[in-house]
Formats: sequence, C-alpha cells, structure tokens
Amino acid sequence: MNEVPPGRDESDDVDDLYRRASALDESRPSELVRRRVLDHAAQLAAERAAKNVPPRIASARGANRTWRRRRPAIFGTLAAAALAGLLITPRFFTPSVPPGAPPSAPPMAALPTMTAAPPAADSRNQEAPAPAAAEQRANRIAGPAAEFAAKDSPAKMQNMAAARSKTAASAGMQAEARRDQDVASTATSQAGALAQPMASLAAAGRSSDPAAELRRAAEIGDLPEMQTLLDKQPLIEARDENGRTALMLAALHGQSQAVDVLLAHGADPNAADGHGTTPLQAAVAGNQQAIAAALRRAGAR
Amino acid sequence: MTVADESDETLMMRYGRGDAAAFDLLYRRHEMRVWRYLKRNVGNRATADELMQEVWFAVARDALRYEPSARFTTWLFTIAHNRMIDSVRTSRRQTSLETLGYEAESVVEQLTSDPSAGPLAAAVARDQAGALARAFEKLPGEQREAFLLQVEGDLSVEEIAAITDSSFETTKSRLRYARMKLRELLKEYA
Repeated sequence: MNEVPPGRDESDDVDDLYRRASALDESRPSELVRRRVLDHAAQLAAERAAKNVPPRIASARGANRTWRRRRPAIFGTLAAAALAGLLITPRFFTPSVPPGAPPSAPPMAALPTMTAAPPAADSRNQEAPAPAAAEQRANRIAGPAAEFAAKDSPAKMQNMAAARSKTAASAGMQAEARRDQDVASTATSQAGALAQPMASLAAAGRSSDPAAELRRAAEIGDLPEMQTLLDKQPLIEARDENGRTALMLAALHGQSQAVDVLLAHGADPNAADGHGTTPLQAAVAGNQQAIAAALRRAGAR
Repeated sequence: MTVADESDETLMMRYGRGDAAAFDLLYRRHEMRVWRYLKRNVGNRATADELMQEVWFAVARDALRYEPSARFTTWLFTIAHNRMIDSVRTSRRQTSLETLGYEAESVVEQLTSDPSAGPLAAAVARDQAGALARAFEKLPGEQREAFLLQVEGDLSVEEIAAITDSSFETTKSRLRYARMKLRELLKEYA
C-alpha cells in the first residue's frame, strides 16, 4: 500500500472541500488567548528592544551614571564657589577709590600681568578702556567656561568658577570674579533646570497615562472609553514604545469601529510605527478589508 | 515592497530584534491555520485554546533561536505538534493520537455558527461543516494529523515525516488513506 504516492489530482477535490468547509467555519480562538499571546509577545519585544539599545542612548545612560558618580564632587564645588563668593562680595561694596586719592588709579584688571596692553602714560585715559578690557577678559573666560559646561558636567563648570573666583580675589579683579560668579550661578540654575524635567518624567511614570489608556481602548474597541478620553485632551497621535498610535493598534486588532472613531477625530491615517508599518499595511496584512477601506477613504497610502 | 508582503521568515527576524508589529502580522497570518490544526486534532475548544496559547508563547519566546534557513511554517507546526503530543501524554486519559476523538462539546455546533448568513446559507454551512467534523472524528489520529499538517501547514511529505517521526513512505500512506476516507465520507459534498 505504501507504493502508491498520494496523487495531487486525487487529493484536489478533498482538499478543496476541506477548504470550503473551513471557510464556513466561524470557530475562532478565544479573544482572551489572542490578547494574552499578543501582550506577551509585545512584552518580550520591548525587553529585546531595550537590550539592543542604540549607542546614542547607551552613552546617555553612561552620562547619567557619570552624573550620579560626580554628584558629591559637584555639591562640594558649589559650596566652595559659594564661600569664594562670600569672600569676594564685600569687595564690591568697598569704595575702590578712597576719598582724596587720585581719581585715575588704574584698575587691577588692566595690569600688564593679565593683558598685553602697555601701561598708559595718562591715567585718565585708562578709565574708559579699563572696564572694557575687563569685560573682554570676562568674555574670554566666560566663553570657554560656558562651552566647557555645555559639553561637560556642571561639576567642572563650578570648579572652574571657583578657581577663577580665587584668582580674581587674590588679584582684585572684581569684574572677572563677578562674571565668574554669574557663570557659576548659571550652572547651578541649569542643574536645577535639568532636575525639574527629570522629576516631571519620574512623576509621569508614576501617574496613569491617558494616551496609553486611549491606545488600550482602541486596541480592544472600547468606544465609550475612547470617546471620554478623546474629549479630554488631544492624545490621538501619542505613541507607545513601538511607535504605534491608537489608530495603528485599532487597525492591527481589527477594531473597525475604533478606527472609524479615531479617523473621525482626525487621527493621521499614515502614521507609521517605529518600523515604518502604516495602519493600512497592517489592515491589509490582517485581511481587515473594512478597516483598509476606511483608511483609504481617509487618505491612507 | 510593503511589510505586508514580507516573508514569514523576515517578519520573524524582525520580531527577534524587538519589532512587536512583526509578530502581530505573523500571528494574524497563521492564527486560523494553527487553530484549525489544534482544534481538529484535539477536538476540544478549551484544550485547543490552551495549546494555542502555549504554541504562540513558545514562538515568541524562542524567536531568537529561530533559524531563517528553516521555513517558518515548518517550525511553527513542529512546535504545535510537539505541544499537542505533550498535552496528550500528560492528560489524565492517557489517550494516544490514534484513539483521540472529539469530546464533550459538539464539534458540529462549534463549526457552524454564522449569524450573519441567511437561513439557507446557514443550513448548507451547517451541513457541510457538520459532515466534515463527523468525517474527522472517524479518521485515525495519525492520518488526521498528517492531513492537517499538509493542508493547514502546507508542509511537504518529507517535512511531515520529520515532524511526526515517521518514515517518508508511512507518511505518504497516511495521507493517501486520510484522503480516501474523507472522500468516501464526504462524497455527497465533493
């Protein structure tokens, strides 16, 4: 009996009948199973995507670790800068020219040790250029310092400011010291500005995410919930960790009515996910003809 | 080429790299084929649901181990076959695939529920699907499985033989007898 191979011609009628009957078969796996499978797969995908972190993100994490490691040094430097500021500040309020003294004493900032300008014969002529020279020097200091701070950590920035403050104090260069203090305080405020969004992000992670709720509602076709969320705020184009909008999820999960609701609320029919898949492509791949037609009517390509 | 046109193997590789949408597409592409294979073999909706979840969990979990040199459907139905065998072996009834029959729930009832169809179409569908279900009940388990692997998994005789740990000739015989029996049982619809 084994010598007779199964002829394709013989099997065609049976196979065709089987397929016709299968096409009429409305039996489906339960929605719960489908949901569990897709959720599990998405969770594993997210874990894998997190492991395959691009170098840019990795370096950002490295910078974050560096920031944590240097935090004690930064606070120490800030304290030193504050102390230096306290020592210098009284000098700003001390009259630099005692009563009766010649009004044209050259400012310390114009000393040849700091500039290449030759000493002027007429001390009166020093009054105008001296602040300008100090300002230029302050700019020369502040420029690299700001650049340094921008590409490195606030700790280095503060170190530089503190060192400059000490130098300025010893040399009596009030303008430079003042400028450096300004730079230091700017660095402090920048650090504060950085901390604020980080705190906001942490708070956002703890609170419920209406955009995620909308995507979830679209995925399962919960129309009343979608309507409530859409009435509250414009979340329609928010994306999940895979770059999928609520419309994309609704299309992927065959939620025709959810697709209609989202399109009626102005959802972008061409919003592709993180891998370039559009809602129309997802609908076609899932054989969701009604959804594909609705998307095409809305201008999907 | 759109993502919808991408091969199963490409989608599987994409999923292995963390693309959840690729898995969604793969699942939707093969969901019903795996479901019919499992349900018509075990004949019980609850067991089929349980196996369905186990099979696709395994696909998701082992995506990184998937070798693109093998066809995705071969890999998928190998997993489905192995899960089904495990399920049979661990069941209290200790039944073998040969004796595994449809149980409890009426298969005919499961196969025929289309509220959108008209009364005549529904009757025809019920009749045909019922006949198919009854025919499957009468097939020996090994023949039934070989047939389902071929029509649902689109697998070759060699692939079915490898999956079921049978010889090429034995597999050919099973397929031939399965079709002969089905043709006989379904002749009024053929």
